Amino acid sequence: MAATPLIEIGALFVGIALAGAIAQRAGQSVIPFYIVGGMLAGEHVLGRLAPLEIGLGDVAVTLQQPYVSESEFVELGAELGIVFLLFFLGLEFSITRLLESRDRIGKAGVVDLAINFPAGVLLGLALGWSAIEAVLLGGIVYISSSAVITKSLIDLGWIANDESDPMLGTLVFEDLFIALYLAVVSALVIGGGDVGAAATDIGIAVGFILVLLGGVFYGSELFQRYLETDSRELTVLRTVALVVFVAGLALLLDVSEAVAAFFVGMGFSSTDHVHEIEELLIPVRDLFAAVFFFWVGLGTDPAVFADPALVAVLALAVLVTTPTKLVSGYLGGRIYDLDERRSLRVATGMVTRGEFSLIIAATIATAGTGPVMTETIPDLTVGYVLVMSILGTVLMQYADRLWSVAQPYLVDAAE
Amino acid sequence: MAVYESDLPGVGKKFEIDLDGEAQLVVVIHNTGKRELFVRDSPDADSEKLFELSDKLARQVGTIMEGAYFQPIRDDEISTVLDDDTIIEWAKVTDESELVGTTLAESGVRQRTGASIIAVQRGDETIQNPPPDVEFEVDDTLVSIGDRESHTELERLAAGEATLDGAPGGGEPPGDTADDEFVDDDSANDEP
Repeated sequence: MAATPLIEIGALFVGIALAGAIAQRAGQSVIPFYIVGGMLAGEHVLGRLAPLEIGLGDVAVTLQQPYVSESEFVELGAELGIVFLLFFLGLEFSITRLLESRDRIGKAGVVDLAINFPAGVLLGLALGWSAIEAVLLGGIVYISSSAVITKSLIDLGWIANDESDPMLGTLVFEDLFIALYLAVVSALVIGGGDVGAAATDIGIAVGFILVLLGGVFYGSELFQRYLETDSRELTVLRTVALVVFVAGLALLLDVSEAVAAFFVGMGFSSTDHVHEIEELLIPVRDLFAAVFFFWVGLGTDPAVFADPALVAVLALAVLVTTPTKLVSGYLGGRIYDLDERRSLRVATGMVTRGEFSLIIAATIATAGTGPVMTETIPDLTVGYVLVMSILGTVLMQYADRLWSVAQPYLVDAAE
Repeated sequence: MAVYESDLPGVGKKFEIDLDGEAQLVVVIHNTGKRELFVRDSPDADSEKLFELSDKLARQVGTIMEGAYFQPIRDDEISTVLDDDTIIEWAKVTDESELVGTTLAESGVRQRTGASIIAVQRGDETIQNPPPDVEFEVDDTLVSIGDRESHTELERLAAGEATLDGAPGGGEPPGDTADDEFVDDDSANDEP
């Protein structure tokens, strides 16, 4: 569009900043706003507007509306966003912490998995999709959004209450599951469904992950020494270097870059530098994660939501998977010995889906074959995340009102 | 008083501190450095947010709360606990005290009580690492380090309830006393 690509990058960040400002004004999570911002700023909306004619006396100037295109930079930025999102997940992921409360996290996590994942798979199969497509849908509707839920917990002040424990605990379980899921499913999808080729791919993926896991368990000394420097600049550079390089290497081997980044984060989580890395790199993560959500919007034509078939599937997915999360969240709260009211809060809190559903759709589904994987699933996921992130946040805000309605039923049921 | 610490994955750490009765103070320290303070009236109640502080501000408020800038001295319960056996306390010298008019070395406070004087507050002035020849005056505040028993003894001395007579080791050469004091002083000052 423009004379220099720099103006395009500038326009990209102006769009993101605007979307973020509007989200904050509306008291909503930023993720759906970044996505919608991307949709509006992209070629499908802004790019389609008629050129602007400005007449000044005799001079007429025609201005083509500038739009943000899906340039290589935006795509790479989005990929870095995925890598940093997963890296931070790994960084927060302490095995000792998981083991400490493994009983409750395990129980609540398994209940959550056993209710929500099959619901998505069954829905996919009922739609006549193939097994692998159904498994993708299972993952997309299973995984709650750590980013949105954590932010809502802080905004509502629930973070200081007991309900934050089952919510954050279940998220940790989900995150670990999704790392394994991404590894296996990406190998399956990229293998093209051929069982023999898929087996080789899974072999490579598992091998690569085993190497990374070995690094996590036995390499903490090395990681520690790697990060040992007085310079903040060097800490940033070394961390980014290792994360991006390993993620790139993973992609070269057809292994999910997100999984690789997750394990590098896990490796760093046992060093003394976790806090420092978080402090220095959270802005980097936020920057690229925003680009990722914006990029998801850029690639989505809002017109697809005029397709009744897609809307029907979307509505079905929302109608099926909202109650399943409510039930699993409620049970999770009960597993943590919370009363009915707090368990209901946990239930409302887990409804939100976000970044990981998009990562599944963006990194796995689009690499697949057939219209369902390359078109339906990505579009469906964008719509689904938009609905669920807003629905979940609103449900949390109205949890107490919901409680006054649900109280008689829940308390009776418990007796 | 019990303090419960728990991890908040992706957020930071949570500290729950029992207050009087059933109430709890909840401090959430975010990974970003932000501190949020909540109060919970009973275990079942919702946490009510009191306020939040930036990392820098929280540290400043923390040192003020700790008493680093100002220590009210009237209350004899004010003390800073370093570990189970080591406490820093403040004791005021009254006009009835036998300490008045004697020097640190002459009084042999450490041999007599077991507590080491690490500073003398006199009006607006603080004499750190008081030299052996510093002379005690009425209204001096003695900042000392030692165990609980030593402090009780020193307080009695400063208040005039105990005398210097018969102090164990009171007759030791002053030079020794001073050396010991200095050794203790340094370690005490570095510790907190």
